[in-house]
Amino acid sequence: MDYKLPKQTHEIFSIMARGHFISSNGTKDNMGKLYDIINNPENFDHFQEYFNIIRYKIERGNNFFYFSKLEETNSIIEKKLETFEKYIDIIDLFASMDNKITIGSRFRPSEIAEECNANVRLKQKLQKIPLYRSETLSNKVREICDLMTRDSFLEKEDEVSENYKVLDSYSYLMDMINSIAIYEEPPGSENAGGIIYN
Amino acid sequence: MENFRILNRIVMINIANNKYADVELSGNTCFVGTNNFGKTSLQRAILFFYSANSRGLGISQSQKPFEEHYFRYENSFIVYEITTEDKNFFVMAYRHNKLCFRFVDAAYNADFFFNENDEALKIGDVLKKLDKFGIYYSNQIDTFERYRNIIYGTETDKNLTKFHLLKGNEKYQNIPKSITNVFLSSKASIDSRFIKDFIANSLSNENSSIKLEQVERQLRQFNEKYTDIETYLKKETQQLIELIDKKFDQVKMLKGSQFELAEKLGSSLKYAEVQNEAIREASKAKEEALEILVSDFNALKGNSEEKQKDIREEIGYYDRTIREANKKLKDYKEKNIEEAVEKNKQKEQLQVELNMARKEYETLTSNVKSIELKYSSLIEQLRNDKAAFINTTNTKTSLIFNDYNERQLLAKNEHNKKDGELKEKRERSLGDLNAEVTSKQIEFNELKSEEKVIRNTRFYENEIKLLETELAELRAVTYKNRSEKAIKSNMIQTLQKEWENTEGKLKSSLSNQLSKINNEIIKKKTEIKEIESKLSSQADAFYGYLEKNVKDWHLTIGKVCNEEILFRTDLKPAYKKELANSLYGISLELDTVSVYSKSIEEYQAEKTSRLTEIKELEDSLSQFQTSNNEEKILAADRFGKQIGELKEDVKVLTYSLELAEKREKKLMNEFEDWKQKASAETEEALKGNRQKQNIVEEELAILNKKKNNLLSDFNDQFDQLKKHHEERIVDLKSRQEKEIKEIEDEKDKTVKSFDDKEAEFTTEKESSFKSKGVDSKQIKEIDKRIKALQDETKEIDQYSQLVNDYLKDKRELFDKLPDLIQKKEDYVKTSNEMANHLEEASRKYNLKRMEINKEKRAYDEELIEFNNGINYFTKNFRETPVYNKYADIVERAEPRKTNYTVMDLCTQLLKNDSHFNEEYGAFQRYVNEFSGKFRLENHFNFIIRNDASQAEYERFAQNLMNFIHENKIELSVAETATQIGLVTDSIATKVKELSNQQDKIQHIITLIAEDFKKAEFEESKLIEFIKIKIEESDNKVYKLLKKIEEFKDEHGMFYGEGLFNTDYASGGKNKEINNRAVKLLESLRHAIKEQEQEEIRLQDLFELKFNIKEGVNETGWTHKIDSIGSTGTDILVKAIIYITLLHVFIKESSHRSSKEFKVHCIIDEVGQISAHYLRELLKFAKNRNIMMINGLPNKSGLESHYRYTYQFRREEAGNVRVFPSIVTEVEA
Repeated sequence: MDYKLPKQTHEIFSIMARGHFISSNGTKDNMGKLYDIINNPENFDHFQEYFNIIRYKIERGNNFFYFSKLEETNSIIEKKLETFEKYIDIIDLFASMDNKITIGSRFRPSEIAEECNANVRLKQKLQKIPLYRSETLSNKVREICDLMTRDSFLEKEDEVSENYKVLDSYSYLMDMINSIAIYEEPPGSENAGGIIYN
Repeated sequence: MENFRILNRIVMINIANNKYADVELSGNTCFVGTNNFGKTSLQRAILFFYSANSRGLGISQSQKPFEEHYFRYENSFIVYEITTEDKNFFVMAYRHNKLCFRFVDAAYNADFFFNENDEALKIGDVLKKLDKFGIYYSNQIDTFERYRNIIYGTETDKNLTKFHLLKGNEKYQNIPKSITNVFLSSKASIDSRFIKDFIANSLSNENSSIKLEQVERQLRQFNEKYTDIETYLKKETQQLIELIDKKFDQVKMLKGSQFELAEKLGSSLKYAEVQNEAIREASKAKEEALEILVSDFNALKGNSEEKQKDIREEIGYYDRTIREANKKLKDYKEKNIEEAVEKNKQKEQLQVELNMARKEYETLTSNVKSIELKYSSLIEQLRNDKAAFINTTNTKTSLIFNDYNERQLLAKNEHNKKDGELKEKRERSLGDLNAEVTSKQIEFNELKSEEKVIRNTRFYENEIKLLETELAELRAVTYKNRSEKAIKSNMIQTLQKEWENTEGKLKSSLSNQLSKINNEIIKKKTEIKEIESKLSSQADAFYGYLEKNVKDWHLTIGKVCNEEILFRTDLKPAYKKELANSLYGISLELDTVSVYSKSIEEYQAEKTSRLTEIKELEDSLSQFQTSNNEEKILAADRFGKQIGELKEDVKVLTYSLELAEKREKKLMNEFEDWKQKASAETEEALKGNRQKQNIVEEELAILNKKKNNLLSDFNDQFDQLKKHHEERIVDLKSRQEKEIKEIEDEKDKTVKSFDDKEAEFTTEKESSFKSKGVDSKQIKEIDKRIKALQDETKEIDQYSQLVNDYLKDKRELFDKLPDLIQKKEDYVKTSNEMANHLEEASRKYNLKRMEINKEKRAYDEELIEFNNGINYFTKNFRETPVYNKYADIVERAEPRKTNYTVMDLCTQLLKNDSHFNEEYGAFQRYVNEFSGKFRLENHFNFIIRNDASQAEYERFAQNLMNFIHENKIELSVAETATQIGLVTDSIATKVKELSNQQDKIQHIITLIAEDFKKAEFEESKLIEFIKIKIEESDNKVYKLLKKIEEFKDEHGMFYGEGLFNTDYASGGKNKEINNRAVKLLESLRHAIKEQEQEEIRLQDLFELKFNIKEGVNETGWTHKIDSIGSTGTDILVKAIIYITLLHVFIKESSHRSSKEFKVHCIIDEVGQISAHYLRELLKFAKNRNIMMINGLPNKSGLESHYRYTYQFRREEAGNVRVFPSIVTEVEA
């Protein structure tokens, strides 16, 4: 069967199948172009049809695309949520900065580290982020940036100046955070307080 | 002396490790020596003679440069001696800061360079010696280029033209290149790539390559711009721009509003501080004024009331008097006073008549006087008794009457007393009530006055007036701005039309020029094709035949044959010796006939000239396009700037209008608010007033009711009292009348008896008279008349008291009644006037009091408000970041009264700031998202750092808005569209330039192939054939470059119109072309990146294949010949190929007339070649006027085939000595 797929299909698949996002404002590896290709209504349906065969579904975010698995098991979803949990603190840190990190923002890890250093609250937030072992604030921020770059939420625009750009996929994280509802359990229950994901 | 020119000798003085070497080179030469003894250095020195390029000698970068390694000393020289047809000359190379040359018109002589002590001289001394010998030497030649020009015979200086080795043509540079290439490539294996390089390098000049870095840069620049524009034109980006615009406006507005509020706050605060004391004083002054007003009014009121009391008393007096008079008048009327008065007037008349009647009676009775007297006495007595009785009775009656009258009077007095008491009581009660009613009435009147005042008072008049003024001003400004906006919009439209017209003109002129030049180019191309077809077919045509077989045919056949015949392939030409110098046996004198035929070179030149013309045309088109674009850009700049400025103005005006509209709306709302507030205040005041009025009215009603009740009570009491009194009076009167009647009845009886007695006496008297003769009848009548008169007088007397009283009253009262009424009315009038006056004064007082109260209240409220405001500001605002944000504005503001309270302003500022922060956050997000869509170094400079300040964000947005208003995207699109044309054109031009060399390559390959054919391998049968052919290049980048060239040829000079979706008019065709161009350029960029090649050179344009047959071995068509046979065979083949190449290039690059010269072919390391092969090789070279210079590692017998053999030996101190080896030339 002829799906009339563009020649970049493999490239698209190899990015999204790794759980990464394709954002419209990405410049590296032709990401912006790939986004345009998927975003083209003629292609999109073909892609969807094609990837459905291998049980993948292209999900459309605000200026970004990613894969979801059709009929995902709860254990996988749980695992995804666990993966996501580490981002809660990161987003919290980013959102608490004076110069808020938003889509399209350009920054250097050193700038964030400096701000954290100058602000006790931010410093605590940064130190609280559990998954890193770096000793200096700069390295910790750098590691966060690397992680986010690996997960395709950031893009390192310049290796020398360590300039990062926030990609459109960042709104996925924001949406996730925004869909968290904090509830209070009635007093006396064992697990008072907690979060649920909408 | 030889009959050809050749580099005869090289002498090295103090060169490298060599102190002196004199090497002859006029025949095949070989250098024998082990490695690192300086063979290659010497060969390089020889090569330098030909190439004069110290950089192209194969010295690696790790080694010292040529100049430093060879010319270590001031007296280092390389001397090249050249043999010519008549005498030798030499050229010396030395270092004078840099490498220089001098040509010397003499054979080399060591004496020129050494002194008596065999010490090498410096250049100055050498020149002195030459001078001494009178030998001509040239000026110093400072450049390699000029040196080459001299050596290869292209120098124009007549003094130097003789110093040439050969006469090269315009392509002479290929000779040194070829010699160099042979030397540098001699160690490589036989690979077509090498041959390609060789050919290409020989043909290449500096422009014979396409620098891919440059192309990649152009492509990258274009691609980046293209991507930037595409990103910009995306729907999402445009949406973001709209959002930024909107948010920016909001942010500006909010900021403006915050500034305004901050300024107002500052003004209000300062005003509050400045005005505090003044307002306090003003409030106090108002209080005092109020006190004075109240006391003045009270004084006036007291005075007025006093006067009114007096007047009321006067009125009461007159009223009573009038009432009494009227009552008396009524009583008199009831007693018929008028009749009584009338009768009283007749009393005197009656008295006269009575006196006359009495006199008459006396006269008549004078005769009977005694009788008369007797009877008169009797009657008189009787009458007296009667009168006494009547008097007694009357006295009795009078006593009773008086007694009863007295009783009545007493009763009346008692009644009056009781009535008075009751009245007093009533008056007292009424007085209290009336006082209360009056006070309430006054209060009511005051309230009424107050209501009037309230109704007439315009609350918040100042504020409303201020707002009205502000509104009027705003409307005036808005009107002005609207007109200005309309004018500017019209101007924009006009400018846009002008711009469109200019662009249209430019477009049409460009397209005209394009089609014109494209037509010309097509024409030229057709001509080129014709030439090419001639060139390609010439070998098989009559022309080719003539070229091969007939010497100087251009001077004979070429004059009588037209081109058509020359290029026909079906003529089957055959040479007939007997007709050699005739035309079909006819001899012609052709000296004066001009030549029609053209040489291949001329065709080539013609083709080149056409190509140049095409290039010129394209250049001119490109220039035209550039200038067109410049004009377009200028127009865009001019119009765009103007339009941008106007649009900015319009935007500012629109924004101002919007602001004004909002402001007007706000002011209107405020105005309405104030009005409502005012009316609410009025209503409130009226409501209070009305409530008070209602209460007072109610109280008044109650009081009136109370009064009425009281009056009715009193009236009842009065009625009862009156009734009781009247009953008593009636009783007394009836008893009086009864008693009097009883007395009157008794009296009447007694009087009748008296009257009867009197009548008896009268009758007796008459009878006496009669008896005496007296007319008793007449006396009787007179007496009767006297009696009647007496009765009448009596009756009159009865009313005399009443009449007298009446007359007295009339005189004292009734006649003065009009005066009294007038006076009463006057008093009433005065009283009314006074009441009115008081009421007016009261109204005025109330108004004034209210006004002062209001003013005082306003001052007090203002004072409270100021203090509250200052407190609020100090406690709740000054410590906030919002204050810090606007501190400057607040501090700088001038004291001024505003329509808002400090508290309101602080609250509003805080509230707005939170709103502002929200809006600003959104604005920042949009800006970040927008700039994030572009590359970090996008050419629009849409870049903002995350830690940018507010000002930077705003500047960004402002620049973006300017970008939009000035329609800079159009400029960018135009530039990029031009750029794609220029890039494509530049690539196509470069490819064309490079491709043009392909003909040369083809030509060279043909020559080489022919030269291979000519090789007389048959003798040795060693090599049966060497064939060479050319194929299309498989270089990916070149292929793409070629495609671009083809694309450009197909579409001519295109300038990217409709490259983006902005120009809808261009339609789909252009879009398709543009897309193809963009894709091609993109593919090329990727290919360059992938291939990592620095440049595309001539060798990348084609592939070469060889087919070599040696003995029974045939390689077949192949790129690379790993091994044809033995190593010796390989070296031989390689050398043959080199020599062939060299030969071809020398032939191609030297002037036709210059044939008597020989050059060297320097190939190192030929040690493994067999003697047989070497001989073959040397012979092959000799046939092509090429002398071989080879290196051998050691003596092996091969050296015997060379004319000169030199050996190398290392001596003490590392010096190398070169000395000739004594050998016999076997065959060279």
